[in-house]
Amino acid sequence: MIAYVVRRLILAIVTIWAISVVSYAIIQLPPGDFVDSYIANLSASGSMVSAQEAEAMREHYGLNRPIWVQYAKWMNRVIRGDFGVSLEWNRPVTEVIGDRLWLTIVISIAAIILTWGIALPIGIYSAVRQYSIADYIFTFVGFVGLAVPNFLLALIVMYLGFRYFDASIGGLFSPEYELAPWSWGKVWDLTVHLPLPALILALAGTAQLIRIMRANLLDELRRPYVTTARARGLQEWRVIMKYPVRASLNPFASTIGYLLPFVVSGSIVVSLVLSLPTVGPLLLRALVAQDMFLAGAIVLLLGVLTVIGTFLSDLVLMWIDPRIRAGLHG
Amino acid sequence: MRTIGRLAFALLAGAALIAALPGEKAWAQSTLAESGLIGELEGITIIEDPAQWPTTFGESPELAELVEKGELPPVEERLPEDLMVIQAVDGIGRYGGTWRRGFTGPGDNENGNRIQASDRPILVDHTGNTPRPSLAKGWEMSEDGKTYTLHLRRGLKWSDGAPLTADDFVFWFEDIYGNKDIVPTPIPDMSPEGKPGRIVKVDDYTVNFEFDVPFYLFEELMTGDTLIGGGQAVRQSEKRSYGAYAPAHYLKQFLPKYAGGVEAADAAAKAEGYDNWVAFLHFKKDWTLNPELPVLGPWKTVQPINNPTWVMERNPYYWAVDTEGNQLPYFDRVVMTLAENLEVLNLRAIAGEYDLQERHVDLGKLPVILENQEKGGYTVHLDLALGGADAIYQFNQSYSADPEIAKWLTNADFRRALSLAIDRDQLNETFWLGVATPGSPAPGEDLPYFPGEGWREKWSTYDPEQANALLDQIGLDQKDADGFRLRTDNGQRLRLEIQAVQAFLPWPRISEMVADHWRAVGIQADVKDTERLLAFTRTRANEHQIMVWNNGGTELLYLFPRHAIPVDPTEAFMGPEFAKWYNSGGTQGVKPEDPNMLKILELFRGAAGQKAEERIATAHEIWKILIDQQYGIGTVGQSPALMGVRLVSNKLGNIPSRNCIAQHCRTPGGAHPETWYYKE
Amino acid sequence: MSTVLDAAPAPVTTVAEEKVAVATQLQLTWWRFRKHKVAVASGVIVAFFYLVALLADFLATIGPHATDAARSYIPPQEIHWFDEDGSFRPHVFALKGKRDPRTFRLVYAPDPEDKRYLVLFGQGYAYEFLGLFPTSRHLVGLDRGNPEEALFLLGTDQLGRDFWSRLVLATRTSLVIGLAGVALSLFLGVLLGGISGLYGGWIDTVIQRLIEILRSIPTIPLWMGLAAALPASWSVLQIYLAITVIISLIGWTELARVVRGRFLSLREEDFVTAAELAGASRMRIIFRHMVPSFLSHIIAAVSLALPAMIISETTLSFLGLGLRPPAISWGVLLQDAQNIQALGIAPWLLLAAVPVIVVILAFNFLGDGLRDAADPYG
Repeated sequence: MIAYVVRRLILAIVTIWAISVVSYAIIQLPPGDFVDSYIANLSASGSMVSAQEAEAMREHYGLNRPIWVQYAKWMNRVIRGDFGVSLEWNRPVTEVIGDRLWLTIVISIAAIILTWGIALPIGIYSAVRQYSIADYIFTFVGFVGLAVPNFLLALIVMYLGFRYFDASIGGLFSPEYELAPWSWGKVWDLTVHLPLPALILALAGTAQLIRIMRANLLDELRRPYVTTARARGLQEWRVIMKYPVRASLNPFASTIGYLLPFVVSGSIVVSLVLSLPTVGPLLLRALVAQDMFLAGAIVLLLGVLTVIGTFLSDLVLMWIDPRIRAGLHG
Repeated sequence: MRTIGRLAFALLAGAALIAALPGEKAWAQSTLAESGLIGELEGITIIEDPAQWPTTFGESPELAELVEKGELPPVEERLPEDLMVIQAVDGIGRYGGTWRRGFTGPGDNENGNRIQASDRPILVDHTGNTPRPSLAKGWEMSEDGKTYTLHLRRGLKWSDGAPLTADDFVFWFEDIYGNKDIVPTPIPDMSPEGKPGRIVKVDDYTVNFEFDVPFYLFEELMTGDTLIGGGQAVRQSEKRSYGAYAPAHYLKQFLPKYAGGVEAADAAAKAEGYDNWVAFLHFKKDWTLNPELPVLGPWKTVQPINNPTWVMERNPYYWAVDTEGNQLPYFDRVVMTLAENLEVLNLRAIAGEYDLQERHVDLGKLPVILENQEKGGYTVHLDLALGGADAIYQFNQSYSADPEIAKWLTNADFRRALSLAIDRDQLNETFWLGVATPGSPAPGEDLPYFPGEGWREKWSTYDPEQANALLDQIGLDQKDADGFRLRTDNGQRLRLEIQAVQAFLPWPRISEMVADHWRAVGIQADVKDTERLLAFTRTRANEHQIMVWNNGGTELLYLFPRHAIPVDPTEAFMGPEFAKWYNSGGTQGVKPEDPNMLKILELFRGAAGQKAEERIATAHEIWKILIDQQYGIGTVGQSPALMGVRLVSNKLGNIPSRNCIAQHCRTPGGAHPETWYYKE
Repeated sequence: MSTVLDAAPAPVTTVAEEKVAVATQLQLTWWRFRKHKVAVASGVIVAFFYLVALLADFLATIGPHATDAARSYIPPQEIHWFDEDGSFRPHVFALKGKRDPRTFRLVYAPDPEDKRYLVLFGQGYAYEFLGLFPTSRHLVGLDRGNPEEALFLLGTDQLGRDFWSRLVLATRTSLVIGLAGVALSLFLGVLLGGISGLYGGWIDTVIQRLIEILRSIPTIPLWMGLAAALPASWSVLQIYLAITVIISLIGWTELARVVRGRFLSLREEDFVTAAELAGASRMRIIFRHMVPSFLSHIIAAVSLALPAMIISETTLSFLGLGLRPPAISWGVLLQDAQNIQALGIAPWLLLAAVPVIVVILAFNFLGDGLRDAADPYG
């Protein structure tokens, strides 16, 4: 068992290194660099950068060195814990990400709780009362959530909110609280603003969860042991909850791993539309602006979380299903 | 003396006559006139006669409190001897209030730079034509064009109370511009014909710019948003180091020369987390990032731009007053909130969350914006730009990847035909809601640079018959079964590529309509909706065939020529290789073969040494060649598309009913935000 | 549904039951599927959409690239079904537009003088029917004049292009483009997931690490990089197809992990051991014995994969990374609608979301039904 964990750990480190190389390469793939992006940006808003200024900037950022040199320098600093300074934000990368990180986590966790909180009961109910009216209705509603592109939903909701409800536009705080220091009022303001983005984020995942839960549970309910339990006189709800539900949670174990990076990155597109100050839009901006330090750090972070998540996922799988554990030894 | 002033006035009068002539502008103006959204160009008046200046002064209550506590000297001592007395559009304002605006991130520093635009030595007036004193109270150019003198205001102080003197100009020249570690290459603004100029102190408040050859253009360069004349806010932020002056008393400590050597300076930098003293200096002299930096604009940063909100507060030493002696600005604070995307920004503007917003507002949303005026508590003003082309199709004259395509791109009749095939009224209606002026890319009729009658329409009307005839004539008469013209080298369909970027105008969509018009005369054009960075990289590598952009800035051809002629390699859509050739003095790039192109470049190079009248005539010549050759096909211009849709809260006063929209007007800086106030 | 506790079968078997006893897996599946009414309906809907995709040009009325400022932002047209005399003769009136200088909106009024009747198989723009022969007949046309002059079933967009025609053509692009990607993902997912789960050991480790690396690569930078790296001379459609294929080479990981999980559990089942003892090859065990036992999960995954492809296409187009004009797809049309002026002035452009939603729902119900039908335990 310990040997297994240690082996996985070593492999994890190798994997993370491979991820860093691939990610860095991909980020650098589009031609052009940060200075080009900066120039393009300025030009699009009616200002200018002279050729001399551009050259000076490039020299200053070290952008005129070959890629592998830049990568080596970057990796060198990362290992020491120095993630560099964001070219666009002119602040240490750790600060820029850190600012947004906890807010992203709050939103993502809210979304996840909403998703599972809604989907599991509905999934179970649907499976137990298969083909009933309620089953069809819930399934339908769940699927609508899946089918409607959530960025479209976000924009429509935002516009309708403004048009008919005088709601504040996007963001997580009302304009009055935006600047204000933290207070109970501000916490309440955040809580009030949270449900909408969380709901929109949760919508797509809910349907998927419902149908998979329903499918799994149906499979389990048809198994002989369920009939036996019923015949033995066990209460109906115990028949369902004690074993079939737990067994049908098995396939989810494989996917728990991916919740971790999601928690940190959130949904890029919905955050973009709703102007949420999360890590997702930050990554997108960094990519477009070719801000390698920021983009590289975020991508590396997501990669590491994925690796950790997969590892946890495997552990959970082993814990749930004793047959796999047995297979490991046998 | 003020040759520009008198000349400009004369030309303005002449131009006004031309503008009064009937033409295509008439129908556009009637629609706009009916809308009631276009105001009159109006602006501040500067009272220059000391006899009319106020003798008692007032200040904001916040500052008065600080004076009370002894933390600030009294207002009389903070203001300069040579006052800047402004008579605002409406009159005397009231102190107080926060100006709320939207910005899009740390890259959007122009948002704040422009508000600070009065920190330039010389500004322009509300028409964009006449230079006015700002930091400097006066200036002159010597007869031989080799010495330009700037007269500074006596007693003008930085935002920390230290005086601005000629020493700050000399400091910039010797210790910043002159330091190769900070500024590796000299700028053309200071090096006419490659010969470096000098800044020399005459006395505490007089500075001379000395050159070895006649450099009459320098007078104009000082009035525009150029590397030399742009002012500290824009020219020393984002790691730039220009602007002609710098706060010597503050920045000295970061330079090795004054800090005790390179090691000492580097050590100090590393202690703060910077790689070396240069990186540290770049941070310290950036007004958007460093709240301690002394500035000369109406406000100074208190919360830097790389935060979700960018906050600026009043500069207690600002050197302008209203006619009753009240120290400006009226607004206590400027707060910009971050919008992650433009739809959100526009929606917030529509919801009335901003007090005055013209930046990033999308003309296409005008109907929705108008609908919500009452609910949002704002009034909409449409301001027309001075530039001639919001969408100009630049044909790459140095394109080399496909010889057949290159042959046609460099054929003047081909370009003229394509220009005649475009139905500009259609574009105008669809994308500019009918408010732009269709025609050639020439600058606005009110500007002295307008080449003259007939040049708005030349080669720029809708004439598909002539277009077809021209195309048949030049050898593209073979067509395939679908009616598209064939290449002359291999008999396949001729396909052009238009590279379009989705920026502040929907250029890809506009290009789709243009492609539709070209289809009607048998030319197939593929619109490549390209991501901005990629597009610029490709154009720099000479890979594009046709690039669409606007030609903003070319209304004053010499200050910002890059969108009219290929002279600046950073952005030379018309011929990147030619720009390299021009800029490097012939050592890089490719020399143009087209005699017209050579003529343009020659004329441009020689203009720096010409006096104003001659220079403008040269500009007319250049424009005439450009329009006749149609290197860049203009579509519509002089529209409110860029910063021209202004949402003004009903609570604000001293707002001009119409702004000047041009590069050198530094919209909205040219409307003097320091005079704006809350009416209650 | 019979359970173990049911009474023993009656001694006399009916014809139907005999059929059941000897029916193939496929027939059983089909019969069970037929019972699930909603799934059948969804299957019909999906088939209908693919038919639309096939006949796209025939169903369109106006060329999708024909622009005209005078037709900008026309709302969906009112069709008058009955003439004044009460006869069933659907007709429309030509529209005249003018921009209101106060509100800057385009206001359209029908011209009562200009009446056009709708006809079946009318004349329209030229195209190649099924790519076989050129024609200019469309399903709906006008009795006189070009449909461009007066027929705007679902209104127009900003450039004056007919929305109905563009919607129909978008259906074709969007429905076809995901197929290649899904097929590839499916194959790789089952194969590699199966090998990983069945063999275990170092093969499993290597494949799992590969999956981890591939999954950690963020899609958006990958798209941006690839879009930039592919030759500019390729058409938008070609680039998108290439990128879709490349994405599927990464997308199989999702399915693979699920498959592996199931394989790890199933590996210990008796029937697998029996097959091994009988000497069956690994490949045979995977595809002939193990796969059918979780076929339902695969079907569920695939029936979600295609709509997922569609959603990702719309999302990427929204970000400006997917299909771009002049290509026409649902994502491109939704991008046109993704702004305030569309919401405020031309809300009919949002109708592009309707086929997206319907198709995705249909695929999901269809998948549900197939999963239920294929379930060997039912």
